[in-house]
Amino acid sequence: MARIGVFICHCGTNIAGTVNIPEVVEAAKKMPQVVYAEDNRFTCSEPGQASIREAIKEYQLNRVVIGACSPRMHESTFRRTLAEAGLNPYLLEMGNIREHCSWAHTDKGAATEKAIDLLKMAVARVAWHEPLFPRQTGLTKRALVIGGGIAGIQASLDIADAGYEVVLVEREPSIGGRMAQLDKTFPTLDCSACILTPRMTQVGQHPNIKLLSYSELDEVSGYVGNFKVKIRRKARYIDETKCTGCGECATVCPVEVESEFNEGLGKRKAAYIPFPQAVPNKYVIDKRGYPPCRVACPAGVNAQGYVALISQGKFKEALEVVRRTMPFPAVCGRVCNHPCELDCERGTVDEPIAIRALKRFIADYELKAGREKPTPPSRTKEEKVAIIGSGPAGLACAYDLVREGYPVTVFEALPQPGGLLRYGIPEYRLPQEVLDDEIKYIQEMGVEIRTNSPVKDLGQIFNQGYGAIFLGTGAPTSQKMGIPGEDAPGVRHALDFLRRVNAGEKVTVGDRVAVIGGGNAAIDASRVALRLGAKEVFIVYRRSRAEMPAQKTEIEEAEREGVKINLLAAPTKVLTRDGKLTGIECIRMELGEPDASGRRRPIPVKGSEFTMDVDNVIIAVGQALDKEALPKDLAYTAWGTLQVEQTTLQTNIDGVFAGGDAVSGPAGVIEAIAAGKEAAISIDRYLRGLDLAEGRPQALKKVEKVSKEGVETKPRKSMPLLDVGKRGGSLAEVELGFDEKTAIEEANRCLSCAVCSDCRECEKVCEAEAIYHERGEELIEEEVGAIIVASGVKPLDHTLFPEYGGGKYADVIGALQLERMMSAAGPTGGEVLRPSNGAHPKTVVFISCVGSRDERTGKDYCSRVCCMYMAKHAILLKEHDPETQSYIFYTDLRGPGGKMFEQFMWRAERKAGAIYLRGRISDVYQKDGRLMVSGEDQERNEPVEIAADLVVLATGLMPSDGAAELARTLNISYDVKNFMLEAHPKLRPVETNTDGIFLAGAAVAPFDIPECVAQGGGAAAKVLSLFGHDTITTEPTTAMVDALRCIGCLLCTQVCPFSAIDPELTRDGRTIAAINETLCKGCGLCVAACRPGAVNLRGFSDQQLLAEVKSLWQ
Amino acid sequence: MAVLTPYREAVEAVEEAGGEALKLCYQCGLCTGICPWNTVRSFLVRRMLHESQLGLVDFEAEDTWLCATCRACVDRCPREVPIIDVMRALRRTIVGLGVGYVPDSLRITMKNISALGNPLGEAREARAAWAEGLDVKPFASGTEFLYFPCCVQAYDPRGQKIARAMVGILKKAGMDFGILGAEQSCCGESVRKAGNESLCESLAQGNIHLFAENGVTKIITTSPHCYHTFKNEYPELGGNFEVIHYTQYLAGLIREGRLKFTKEINKRVTYHDPCYLGRHNGIYDEPRLILESIPGLELVEMPNSGQNSLCCGGGGGRIWMETKKGERFSDLRVDQAIEVGASVLATACPYCIANFDDSVLTSDKGEIIEVKDVAELVEQAI
Repeated sequence: MARIGVFICHCGTNIAGTVNIPEVVEAAKKMPQVVYAEDNRFTCSEPGQASIREAIKEYQLNRVVIGACSPRMHESTFRRTLAEAGLNPYLLEMGNIREHCSWAHTDKGAATEKAIDLLKMAVARVAWHEPLFPRQTGLTKRALVIGGGIAGIQASLDIADAGYEVVLVEREPSIGGRMAQLDKTFPTLDCSACILTPRMTQVGQHPNIKLLSYSELDEVSGYVGNFKVKIRRKARYIDETKCTGCGECATVCPVEVESEFNEGLGKRKAAYIPFPQAVPNKYVIDKRGYPPCRVACPAGVNAQGYVALISQGKFKEALEVVRRTMPFPAVCGRVCNHPCELDCERGTVDEPIAIRALKRFIADYELKAGREKPTPPSRTKEEKVAIIGSGPAGLACAYDLVREGYPVTVFEALPQPGGLLRYGIPEYRLPQEVLDDEIKYIQEMGVEIRTNSPVKDLGQIFNQGYGAIFLGTGAPTSQKMGIPGEDAPGVRHALDFLRRVNAGEKVTVGDRVAVIGGGNAAIDASRVALRLGAKEVFIVYRRSRAEMPAQKTEIEEAEREGVKINLLAAPTKVLTRDGKLTGIECIRMELGEPDASGRRRPIPVKGSEFTMDVDNVIIAVGQALDKEALPKDLAYTAWGTLQVEQTTLQTNIDGVFAGGDAVSGPAGVIEAIAAGKEAAISIDRYLRGLDLAEGRPQALKKVEKVSKEGVETKPRKSMPLLDVGKRGGSLAEVELGFDEKTAIEEANRCLSCAVCSDCRECEKVCEAEAIYHERGEELIEEEVGAIIVASGVKPLDHTLFPEYGGGKYADVIGALQLERMMSAAGPTGGEVLRPSNGAHPKTVVFISCVGSRDERTGKDYCSRVCCMYMAKHAILLKEHDPETQSYIFYTDLRGPGGKMFEQFMWRAERKAGAIYLRGRISDVYQKDGRLMVSGEDQERNEPVEIAADLVVLATGLMPSDGAAELARTLNISYDVKNFMLEAHPKLRPVETNTDGIFLAGAAVAPFDIPECVAQGGGAAAKVLSLFGHDTITTEPTTAMVDALRCIGCLLCTQVCPFSAIDPELTRDGRTIAAINETLCKGCGLCVAACRPGAVNLRGFSDQQLLAEVKSLWQ
Repeated sequence: MAVLTPYREAVEAVEEAGGEALKLCYQCGLCTGICPWNTVRSFLVRRMLHESQLGLVDFEAEDTWLCATCRACVDRCPREVPIIDVMRALRRTIVGLGVGYVPDSLRITMKNISALGNPLGEAREARAAWAEGLDVKPFASGTEFLYFPCCVQAYDPRGQKIARAMVGILKKAGMDFGILGAEQSCCGESVRKAGNESLCESLAQGNIHLFAENGVTKIITTSPHCYHTFKNEYPELGGNFEVIHYTQYLAGLIREGRLKFTKEINKRVTYHDPCYLGRHNGIYDEPRLILESIPGLELVEMPNSGQNSLCCGGGGGRIWMETKKGERFSDLRVDQAIEVGASVLATACPYCIANFDDSVLTSDKGEIIEVKDVAELVEQAI
C-alpha cells in the first residue's frame, strides 16, 4: 500500500498568484492513497526540503508528489531530498503547476482546477513508481580533439598538461588552422605566427599528445566515457616516422600547384609542407589519382611524369620515366597516335599539350648527347622465354620480361629486327638509325634477338627449353580488293611497296600514281611515291574525310606535299591496254547508315563511274595475318586474327601467348606495346604458377577534378617541319623536333592533373628512405572518453562575388589573401602588391559584409571579425607604405565590443587615416586600369565612386567544409548554416546535447582568437571535470524486455537510434530482443514499436502512464 | 531643431498598404548605388526607406513618383526587401489618403483609364480598330488563344504596327487565336504601380469576368506588363489563365522547327531586356534565340544586358509621366546600343519602344539606329 505525501509550492507569488493553494491542498488530501498534504512558500529552499524530509519520517511516506515547477528545473533537487530522507529518489513525481497553470492562465478558478487535475495524475502515477538504481560504468580517460586550430591546440594542451592523453586529429598536413595564416592579430598587432608557433611546437612535442595530422574522423560509436573512434589517415606517401623534414623531396619535385595556405597567391610543390613552421614537420605528397594522359595511354606510359621533368629541364630523368614503362621513346615520340593528347585536360582550356613531341624531344636529346650503356637487369629466373616477331609488341614483351629477370630470346624471320616499325613506316617519319638505337638499347638490356629465324613449329621451341612463348607476328600482308585487273603489272600493295623502299631496294614509280585507301599506310605510300619521283599522286578513298583513319596531321602534310585526295570514290576495275596499266575505273559513293565500326557505310551511286589515268596503283585497303608463315594448331577468330583469352592473351595452346596486330588486326604502335606488356605479366604469372587472370585488367583510377582556375590560355607549340620544297626526292625526316627552349615552354603548359606526377625523383633523394608511392590510406581505431569538436571556419570564396569584381579582376582580392601578402613569410615576402602588375597600391578600398548579413547567400549572420581586421589592415597598410589611403565601406561597425577594440578602430581612423564610409557597395567595375567602386555615401546622402588600385573583400566566415558531415558522424546537432549547436547558448556554451562531446572555437559561430582560446580552455575544463571521476553514473530509466511476451519480431532493433537492442537466444531456443543498458538512452521508440507490448521503459511503464491518464475520469 | 517623432499613423498607413516589408531594411544603401536614377540624378532609395520606417516621407516631394519598378535593387538587396512593394505602398498611401503630390499627367491617365479603359483617352469602341482589314477572328468559345495587345498597341499608330505584325506571324504559325474588342480594358499594371489599387482591382475584375465569360483559358500578350499582371497578379483575384509572352511562343516554335525564316536581315542588332520580361519574369533567352535564328542577323550585347539590363525608364507608371531631358535612361540606353555598333535596337515591350523612339527622335539619331520590336523583325524575316 502506497503512502503518498503531496507538497504544494507557492513559488512566492509565481504559483500562488494564480492558483488557489489552500483549495489544492484540501483536494490533494482527498486523493486516493494520499496520507499527507501541505504547502510551502518555496519548496526548493532548505526549509521547504526539510519539511519534506520530516513529513516522510513522521507519516512514513513511501511516495512523494511535488506540485511546483517543471521537473527540468528541480527534479534532481527533490530526488536528492528523498535520498536524504532514506527513500529511493525515483519514488518522486512532479506536477508542473507553475509553467502549465499559473504561467499559462489568468483565470484563477480554472488554473486551480487544472492544478488539481495535474496533481491527481501525478498521485495516480506515483503509486506505480518502483525504486530504480542508477548504474556506474568505467571511463577511458583519454580525449579526442578534432581540429588543430588555436581552439583545438588550447584544448589539447590543457588536457595533456593535466596528465591525460589527447588524440589530436587535423585534416591538413599541419596544425595551426586559420591563425597560422594571419600576419598580425587585432587589437594588439602581435605577430600571429610568433605567438602561435610556440604552442604548435608544444603540441608536437608533448608526451601526452598523439598528433594525427592529414587525418579525418571516419566513424564514432559508444557513449560518454567509452567512445570508439575510427580515424582515416589520408595517404601521405611519406612515412612520418622516417621523414626528417629535410625538404629534399620538395626541392626536386617538378610539380608546382597553387598553395592553399597562401590562398592561391603562391605556389607549392606536390611534395610539401604548407608553411615552414608546420607541425608536424613531416612532408606529404599530394597525389590525386592518375592523370588523364596516363589513363588514356593503352600502355600506361606516365606522360605527366616526364612532361613535369621536362619542364624542369630534367631530360635524362624524364626519359627514365618513359623507359620505366616501355623501351620506345624515340619511336613513339614520332609515330604514336597519341591517345594521351586526345584526353589531355589542357585541351579543355585551349589545346592539348604536345605530349608526343615532348617525348620525342627527350629521346632525341639523348641520341644527340650520346647515352651510357644501361646496366642489364640481373637474371633472377631460370625459365627461358621465346618471343616470335620483333615488332613493338614482341620487343615490349621482351623488355618487361628481361627486367623481371627472365632470359629472353626474340626470333625474327626477316634480316633486321623491328617488324612493322622497320618495314612499314617510311624513313621520313621514322629514320632507321633512330629505330636501330632503341633496339640496341633493348639488346643492351639483355634481350637476345635472332634475325633470319622464322619459327614454324612451336613444339620445337618448347623442346629447346623455353618455358613460354609470345607470338607478336603482326599483320604483315596486304589485303586484296577483289576487283578485275588487280593482278596487273603496275599494281602494288602498300606494305610490300614500303618494305622494299625501307630495305633499300631500288623502287621506281610512274608519273601518275593512285593510292587506294585512307589509312596511315595509304598516306605513307602516297608520300613515298612523291619522293620517288611521281609527278601526281591521288588518294582514292570511299568515305569522306572525317572517316579517314590516318592521323590528321599526316593527311594535312600529304596534301601540302601535293597529294590529291579523291573522296567518296571506290575503284571498280583496273584498266590495262596491251598488258600495261593505263588507269582505274572508279565509282562515286555516298554515305548511308553507320555500320558495325560506327562509321557511315559507303554506298555506290549508280551510273557515276569515271576513270582515272594512272601508271601505278598502290593498294592500301587493309592488312592481314600471314597464316602461311604462322605455326600450325593455332585457333583463329572469325576475322582471321589469332584467338586469345581477352585479359590474359593466352592462345588455345598452353604456354603460348599472343598480342599486337596478330590479335587485334592493324592498330597503333602503342596498342601493340600495351599487348606485349600484358602478355609479359601473363608469362611471368604462368611461369611462376600463379593465377593468370586474378586482379586483371587493372584499371587506373583517373583523377576526378582538375583545377583550371586562373589558367591563362597559351597556344600549343607547333612542330617545326622541313620545308615542303626540300622534301621531294629525299627521305629526310619531315618533323624536325622541338629545341630545348620550346620543349620546356611546352611542358610548362601542363596542368599537372594528378598533382604528384609520379616521376619518383623524390625517392632518389630521400636519404631517410621515407617515401612510399604505393602506400594508401589507413584506418586506425582509438578509444577515448571525451571528444572536443574544434573544426573551425573558412572565409567565403571571394570569387563568388562577380558584382564586386571577385574572380573577374585580379586586383579584387579576399581579406585572407591580403593577410598572406602582408606576412613576411608569405608569397610576396611581406609586400602588398597589386596581383595584376605587382605595383604598390596607393588607394585600397575595403568592402565589408561580403556574403555575410545577406539573405541571398543564406548567411544572414554577422561574421564578427571583419570590422576589426579591416581596421587592422588599414593600420598595417599605412605602416607598409605611408602613401596608402584606405577607404572602408561598412554597413554597420560591429567591432568595438571587445577589449581595446574601440581604441583600435580609433587608431585606424585617426592615426592611419582610414576613411570610413557608410554604405554597401553596389558594384565594382574597371575603368582606365583602375577599379571603380560605387555605392552610396550615407553621411553625405549622395552616390559616391572611388577609383581604387586594390579592392579587398571582407568575405564572411562559414563553417569549414564537411562540418555537417562531421556533426552527423558524431550525432550532434548543427544549425542550418552548419554551425555546431551548443547545449544551451548561454549556460552550456561548450557542451553539446550528447554527453561527452564538447565544442570549442569558431565551429560554433564566428569567434576571434581570444574567444577561441577561452573556449578551448573551457571545453578542456569540461573534459577534465568528467575525467575527475572514476566512473560515470548513468540514468536507470532504460528500456526492458518482458521475455515471456516478446515474440522475437525484432522491429525494435530497427527503430533503435542507438543500436542498443540485439537479438538474444533464450534457454528454450526462442529469439527475443535484449537491451544493452549501457547504450540505451531511454528514448522509448522501442516501446512504441513493440506490438505485443513486451518492451517497457523504467520510470515510464505502461502502468504508470495509463494510471496517469485514467485518473482524469476516475 | 525639430524633435524627431515617428509619425505612427503614416507608418501604419504605409504598412497597411503593403509596405510592411520595409521593416526588414537595415539601411545598407546598396539599393541607392544600384538604382539607375543615380546615373542621371540623385535618388536616395535607402533614405526613402528610412523615412518610411519613421513615417517621415515627404509626400509633397516628386521622389515618391520616381521609381520605375525596374527591380534592379530587389534582386540584389541583402535583406530581400521587396522595395518595389514599399514604393507602391507609399504611392497608394498618397492616393488613398488624398494627400500629397501626384503628377498631373498621371492623374489624367488614371482618369482616362477609369472612364475609357485605356490610358490614352481613346474611345472604348475603337479598341479593335487596329485589326481592321487583317481578318482577325473575334475570340469565341473554343478558340485556343486570346491575343491581348496592350493599350498602346491597340491605339497608338506606332504600337499598332507591332500588333499587326504579331497577327501576321501568328497566322503564319497557324495559331488558333482570336481577339476581344471593346469590352476589354487596360490590364491595370501601371495603375497598381501608380497607387490606385481600387481602380486596378476593378479593371482586373472586369477583364477576368470578360475572359471567363468568353471561355478564355490561354492568353498570348505582346506587352511584358500585361504578361506580368495576368500571370502574377490576376490569380490573387481568382483569374487563373495560362499566359505566355509572344517571345516564349515563337522561341518554342523555333526550337521545334515549326517556324522557319526565309529572308535575311543583314544587320547588327542589339537586344534590350525589358524589366518586366527579364528581371520580373526571368525571360532572357527566348528573345535572343529568336533573333539569333534570323538568317544574316548579328546579335551583339550591350554592356548592361540580361539581369543587369538598364531600365528604359517607363515602368511603374513612369511612361505616363514627363521625365526631364537629361534624366532619361532611354537616352543612355540608345547611346549604349550605338556604342556596340548596332543599327537596330530590338526589344519586346511597348513602353521601351515608346521611350527609345522618343530618345532617337529627340537626339536626332534616326539615321544611325532604328528601334524595332522583335515581332517586327520576325515578320520581316518570315
